[in-house]
Amino acid sequence: MIVLEEVTKEFPGAERPAVGGLSMEIPTGEIVMLVGPSGCGKTTTLRMINRLTEPTSGAILLDGVDVTKQDPVEVRRGIGYVIQRVGLFPHRTIAQNIATVPDLLGWDDSKVTDRVQELTGLVELDPEMLDRYPHELSGGQRQRVGVARALAADPPVLLMDEPFGAVDPIVRGRLQDELRALQERLHKTIVFVTHDIDEAIRLGDRVAVLNVGGVLEQYCPPEELLAAPANAFVEDFLGGERGLKRLSLRTVGELELETVTTAQVGSSGAAAKERMRAQGLDWITVVDDDRLVGWLEAGDIGDRVPDEARRFAAHTTVDTSLRQALDSVISSRTGVAVVVDGEERLVGMIAADQLAEQLTR
Amino acid sequence: MDGLLELWTYLSDVTHWSGPSGIPTRTIQHVWMTTLALGTGVVVAVPLGMWIGHRRRGSLLAVNIVNIGRAIPAFGILALVFIATERIGFLPSYITLVILSLVPLFVNTVTGIEEVDPDVVDAARGMGLSERQVLWRVELPLGMPLILTGFRLAFVDVVATATLAALVAWGGLGRFIIDGFAQLDQGQMLTGALFVALVAVVGDRLVLWAEAAASTGPRGN
Amino acid sequence: MRTRVFAAPDDLVNWEWVGRNLDTIAERTWQHVYLTVIAVAVGFVVAFALSLWILSNPRVGKPVTQLSAIAYTIPSLAIFALLVPVTGLSTLTAEIGLVMYTLLVLVRNTVAGLEGVPDEVLDAGAGMGYEDRRLLWRVRLPLAMPVIIAGIRIATVSTVGLVTITAVIGQGGLGWFILRGLNTVANRSTFVLVGVVLSVLLAVVFDLGIQRFGRYFTPWARKVA
Repeated sequence: MIVLEEVTKEFPGAERPAVGGLSMEIPTGEIVMLVGPSGCGKTTTLRMINRLTEPTSGAILLDGVDVTKQDPVEVRRGIGYVIQRVGLFPHRTIAQNIATVPDLLGWDDSKVTDRVQELTGLVELDPEMLDRYPHELSGGQRQRVGVARALAADPPVLLMDEPFGAVDPIVRGRLQDELRALQERLHKTIVFVTHDIDEAIRLGDRVAVLNVGGVLEQYCPPEELLAAPANAFVEDFLGGERGLKRLSLRTVGELELETVTTAQVGSSGAAAKERMRAQGLDWITVVDDDRLVGWLEAGDIGDRVPDEARRFAAHTTVDTSLRQALDSVISSRTGVAVVVDGEERLVGMIAADQLAEQLTR
Repeated sequence: MDGLLELWTYLSDVTHWSGPSGIPTRTIQHVWMTTLALGTGVVVAVPLGMWIGHRRRGSLLAVNIVNIGRAIPAFGILALVFIATERIGFLPSYITLVILSLVPLFVNTVTGIEEVDPDVVDAARGMGLSERQVLWRVELPLGMPLILTGFRLAFVDVVATATLAALVAWGGLGRFIIDGFAQLDQGQMLTGALFVALVAVVGDRLVLWAEAAASTGPRGN
Repeated sequence: MRTRVFAAPDDLVNWEWVGRNLDTIAERTWQHVYLTVIAVAVGFVVAFALSLWILSNPRVGKPVTQLSAIAYTIPSLAIFALLVPVTGLSTLTAEIGLVMYTLLVLVRNTVAGLEGVPDEVLDAGAGMGYEDRRLLWRVRLPLAMPVIIAGIRIATVSTVGLVTITAVIGQGGLGWFILRGLNTVANRSTFVLVGVVLSVLLAVVFDLGIQRFGRYFTPWARKVA
């Protein structure tokens, strides 16, 4: 656990402190997002944890030990650090870059080599990259190396300062997903600075919204933040589409799904049409045993339900976010999204009114 | 200490302050030769550099000229010009100094013009400036700091090499140094060194001052 | 004034004289090499120390560079003349002057190189627990190498040129031939050409040699630019 106690940073010549008396707790094994407008002291706060910036006053406890009273170099070697512009050493190969902290700690060569191999796999980096120099890599690859380098000595704590700020949106999304997946396995304590509220909501177990001068406006899990912004500043910072953002945090699996009217492949066509009439539907979902095949209109069905059917436009699973499901529903001809599980088995369906209900809750 | 005494003795002799080999005459010769050579250099190198720079094809040429130019010692150029012209005195000295001034002037003009932000040039064209206007109103003023740096480099080279011109029987302040060496006359030698250093440093400050004045103009960025 | 003292063009170089005087040529070339190498080596050590001083104490940066800029402005012949009363017509006089001229470019490039290391690289280094000293020697210095090497190349090539002028104070390496060419009538063009051509060659060889050396030590920079 990282505890900040009344941490203040005043830069010489500045009118007001960059961070004024900030107190917060960062629980072990969670991702805490520091988010706020420029000048809110989020980067300063981060840099005080590994003492790249010296706090003017206050204490920063890392598992109960005050880092401000320790050798900064030792502190830093035990904390992973990833920054937006990566800061790879241009004169060292990728492998040497990743091995930086293990080398500093004096690991022996074979252990370092093994660790580099392991990390390469972990961050999904092509092993061929290892002998190259940083300028030969793309932005996304470099950031992967940055993460691998920070994880090299397996530090319990990771500080990340807008690590995905300089890559394009597609790569950013992928790196965010990878970080979440990585965290599922590693359970690091991660402090992550961003100015992007969507990134904060997407990645954080908790989000700390900071105002200018390091004022902590709200600190809670993202659902809570979206459901109940503490004040006008937070509300303003969250921006529009708050309802949609909340939907993006939840998955289809969390909802009670409606039952789907189905027709088995090869069953009686007349019976299927009768069920459609009874339900007032002009289409029916076709399944083969419990596997989803597609959908058919009455006119498509003869004596028997055929094994060829129209495909649903969107693929919705129990892991799909409600936000995406909503998109599928409103763009689908049928006005619903049919949901399958990981093995493509039909589990139910979701309709627009159900999602609307979630929005108002 | 002996040196200082001899310097004082030489300087306090009034006969050294008049006539064709007096200190004022030789100082004026030195300054005049430097000015003349630099003037010629500017007239030749700057327009050429502007034209090549405007066409943005000159960077490679500039790099090569700098490398070649730097490898040939100024003293060597003087000697080569001397054997090529079969003359002593003013002519080989003047030609040598002009050649020396050409390299930094030309190269810095080309680079100065070429390094003007292409977006600015593009915007100027987009607003309807003719090529001539682009060159004179945008590229030249923006490239001026670098061109003036080239002028300063040229000045330092030319003043220094003008002292060597005494070796091909021209006047100037270098005469005192060379004759001082030859006649083992420390007073004369130090007089030459002192005045030449003075001319160089004062001149350099003047160019620097002009440079600063030019770069703090309304378009300073 | 006009002097008609020249041989016909086909006698521009008296090869027979060259053949007879290979010893002198080798000796003078060697003198040129060591005057140059000592000047650049001493100049680099001084410049490096000054650069570290400037880096740790930015206030001294301006006065140091201004002083070396003024020193650079003073014509070399004047510097040598000013030193002769103190250190005589000696190698020391030549070296002091030559070292002075290397300082401006060496200090400028070394400081620029060390300061030009991207902030994020230093930040990342510090963040991973590099001490200041290690950051200097393991990160800043290697990354500054291309710029420092560029400075050494410029300083070396101009030193090769300046060495010729030390002929006037009885040193000079290959400059001795050039001066001899100006002062004598017989074999005049041979003297000048031997001096000039060999010193240009020397400059080129030094330049390429240092460039090679630099590339060997900065393999990571090979594919940039």
